[in-house]
Amino acid sequence: MDGLQVVGRSVRRTDAAEKLTGRATFTTDIALPGMLHAKLLRSPHAHALIRRVDASRARAAPGVHAVLTRDEVPPGLMAVYGYFIKDQPIVATDRVRHVGDVVAAVAAETEAQAVHALSLIAVEYESLPVAASIEAALAADAPELFPEAPVGVVPAYGEGARGALRPARNVCFEFGYRMGDHSAFAGCDHVFADEFRFSRMWHFHLEPFVSVAHARPDGIEIWSSNQNPFPLRKEIARIFRVPENAITIRVPFVGGGFGSKNNCKTEPAAVLLSMLSGRPVRLALTMEEGFLTNTQHAAILRLRTGVMADGRLVARQSEVLLDAGAYSDASPLVAEKAGYRVAGPYRWQHVDSLCRCVMTNTAPAGPFRGFGGTQANWASESQVDMIARRLGLDPFEMRRRNLIALHEPFMPGESGVDSDLLEGLEVVVRELHRPAREDGRRRGVGFAVGFKDGGGVNKPAQARVKVSTSGDIYLGCGTIEIGQGARTALPQVVAEILGAPAHRVRALPVDTDHTPFDQGTNASSGIAVMGQAVQRAATAVRDQVLAFAAGQLGCDAAELRLEDWHILRGNERLPLAPMVMRHFGGTGFEFTADGFFKPEADHHAPLEARCVYWEIGWAAAQVAVDEGTGQVTVEQLVVAGDAGRAINPLLCKGQDEGSAVMGFGQAMFETMRFDAQGNLLNGEPLLYRVPLAEDLPGRLVAITLEQGHGPGPFGAKGLGEGAMLPVAPAIANAVQDATGARVTELPISPERVLRALDAAKTTPGHDAIQPERTPA
Amino acid sequence: MPAETIRFTLDGREVAVTAEPAEPLANLLREACGIQGVRVACSRAVCGACTILVDGEPAASCAMFAYQAEGRAVETVAGLSQPGQALHPLQEAFARHAAFQCGTCTAGFLMLAKALLARHPEPDRATIAEWLSSNICRCTGYGAIIAAVEEAAAMMRAEKMA
Repeated sequence: MDGLQVVGRSVRRTDAAEKLTGRATFTTDIALPGMLHAKLLRSPHAHALIRRVDASRARAAPGVHAVLTRDEVPPGLMAVYGYFIKDQPIVATDRVRHVGDVVAAVAAETEAQAVHALSLIAVEYESLPVAASIEAALAADAPELFPEAPVGVVPAYGEGARGALRPARNVCFEFGYRMGDHSAFAGCDHVFADEFRFSRMWHFHLEPFVSVAHARPDGIEIWSSNQNPFPLRKEIARIFRVPENAITIRVPFVGGGFGSKNNCKTEPAAVLLSMLSGRPVRLALTMEEGFLTNTQHAAILRLRTGVMADGRLVARQSEVLLDAGAYSDASPLVAEKAGYRVAGPYRWQHVDSLCRCVMTNTAPAGPFRGFGGTQANWASESQVDMIARRLGLDPFEMRRRNLIALHEPFMPGESGVDSDLLEGLEVVVRELHRPAREDGRRRGVGFAVGFKDGGGVNKPAQARVKVSTSGDIYLGCGTIEIGQGARTALPQVVAEILGAPAHRVRALPVDTDHTPFDQGTNASSGIAVMGQAVQRAATAVRDQVLAFAAGQLGCDAAELRLEDWHILRGNERLPLAPMVMRHFGGTGFEFTADGFFKPEADHHAPLEARCVYWEIGWAAAQVAVDEGTGQVTVEQLVVAGDAGRAINPLLCKGQDEGSAVMGFGQAMFETMRFDAQGNLLNGEPLLYRVPLAEDLPGRLVAITLEQGHGPGPFGAKGLGEGAMLPVAPAIANAVQDATGARVTELPISPERVLRALDAAKTTPGHDAIQPERTPA
Repeated sequence: MPAETIRFTLDGREVAVTAEPAEPLANLLREACGIQGVRVACSRAVCGACTILVDGEPAASCAMFAYQAEGRAVETVAGLSQPGQALHPLQEAFARHAAFQCGTCTAGFLMLAKALLARHPEPDRATIAEWLSSNICRCTGYGAIIAAVEEAAAMMRAEKMA
């Protein structure tokens, strides 16, 4: 119908044979001759000054080749890292800021020797008061995590947006966005103020944080489980003051990340230990260490929303506080996204958002699937539903009246929304079956629209496609295979354009010496951003081949088509290989072309470039609530994403299903629990609960829509985060539908449901209009 | 602890490996036996990525001592199919359903499913979900894995009939 041969088909994953036979190579499998094993000494204190570090006994321990403490950091190195703010030390210097902060490292012949040597390092701490939560860190008497300002920058913003470093004590960054005039509130029939709490998840990527570093006299070689090799190269070059072309970063298969494997993790310490020992060093963290290394952002979100009596949304003022943990990591970027997205996909006259990153004595928070969007959607989609019920409106009708239409800009200066939001909502709501059983439990239905700007901000991508004499195709691009199937879907795009079967395209291994530049595998950008670079490279190669053939045949290239390395001209089907060898000689030639894509910078756009595409997820949930125990059972969960065009439908479905189940875990039980002293109470795999096969909703349906409006190849958009965004609010909305009780804090535990049930009973007419509570 | 020779059957072949008896079996399989497909993720016998079969029973190899393999029949993902030959029906079904993404948990799920189908050749969905709940997959959301196991069960029954 559409004439496509390869795109749109669920071709088998190119990594199937390797992964299913156990022969796929991950960084954890890399072993070099003479390789040492490193382990890290971590702080038992959430906040303390370091009075003394004595590693002399460790240096003399059996098998030890290098010990790294603050004393071994070469003078003159700026041995700290971070995205906008360079505040995280490779090893602690004067103080530790969270339980698990790195104090020292040892490289030894075996991991067991390294662990033993760590126990010989004497560290004297002087405890400091601890701020282990957003409230504690913002209290007037809170201890300050960074008495001196670390080096940091504020990115450039466009119209309406702004950013600031250290706007308040223990706040490392704030993002603000304002559109329209505050007086819009005055014309509203009602103003509702609500507060929401968002719990902190751990990524629970199964492959640990791991890298192998080899610092040789002529350069540094790193194998890493990292989703951003090029930014990592830049950071390593800056820290160690070596040229970028003296650093090679290789990334084999990555065993899951969900955001956690951006930027530096184990790499700087491994490099430094390799420099100190002269040997290759492997640093693999345990899962328990992973819990202390990077997390999602817990959040407090306060929304003040003005509406008309007929349900028209008018104005929203919001304050979002993110728990950034002990180091800034990606928090400023997450703040930007949470602050920008908290308006939700609705038409407003006035938006005034403020999002602050609060430093606490807990594990550093960083990128996590959804990237601030999950927090924003939790609050926004809960509140829209609550307002509908207070106004006596159907929550579906409320959304119908306010959702941004297809192609309508999200905000002034922004790109048009490239999905039909209402259509997707109708699809998921329609897909719910009527609940059959009656067993005394209350049943209800809820839904939500997940919404985020996809594809990163102003993100460039480069790709290279080449074809050998015999028509074998190479794809070079920096998108990491982290499970999403990029190394299957992107080759499908190339195959389609070159008229080749999918199996003729091989995606090349990624290393920073040979792979064209890419900013990283994140922000659901693989198809919509890198895909465009890949598409351009493939198209340029195809045009080269057709021009070559036209020259050989003495005709116009427009008369020719390429099909499985044959030239089609009228009824003729001419093999290309002999044509190539006739012209270039017996060993032939490679047709090669690069492709480049970057959204245009635009100072009118709030984030300095119009959003490449809008990543959407819709969810509808049907729950049963036991009012005696507070137990919520999700009997049905239907999610949908808009792929624009599904390059590989089976992989799209897999992304949405996996994303939805992660959202389900967040909604129902996943949460990192810290005590007031900053101790993580469930930082181990047995105690931190993730969804198991038995936990799944009774009926889970993932629908891939292909609305056709994406900017990527053949109308494609990105997927992978969208379906997580609406799940928690859809379930909370269903709980209220079932019981009248509103849970505003995640996860939706039986205790919280019971409390909400009590509150609903003591506040008769909970669904009726409530006066505004104290504004934030 | 002095190294000892441990003798066991590995994917159908008799092996004798020198190891420290208290070394985790997963390490022995990965390092001394070169079976990269035995993946260690949590090291706490929780996630099941390192699942192998010991005398046909699924076991977390990260939480077994090397000496516990003595005299036993150990099966790993490396023995599911031979290089250059057809994949095992489970591998084939996993490929068809894209029942894996990042690939870290995959070998563990394959071995767990092999044991499940040996015990229950015709499992219903609830039985599959119950069995698969001893392992963790963070990528797929399990639906594709359950579907693949259902399909493999049907394929294996058909093979038996033929």
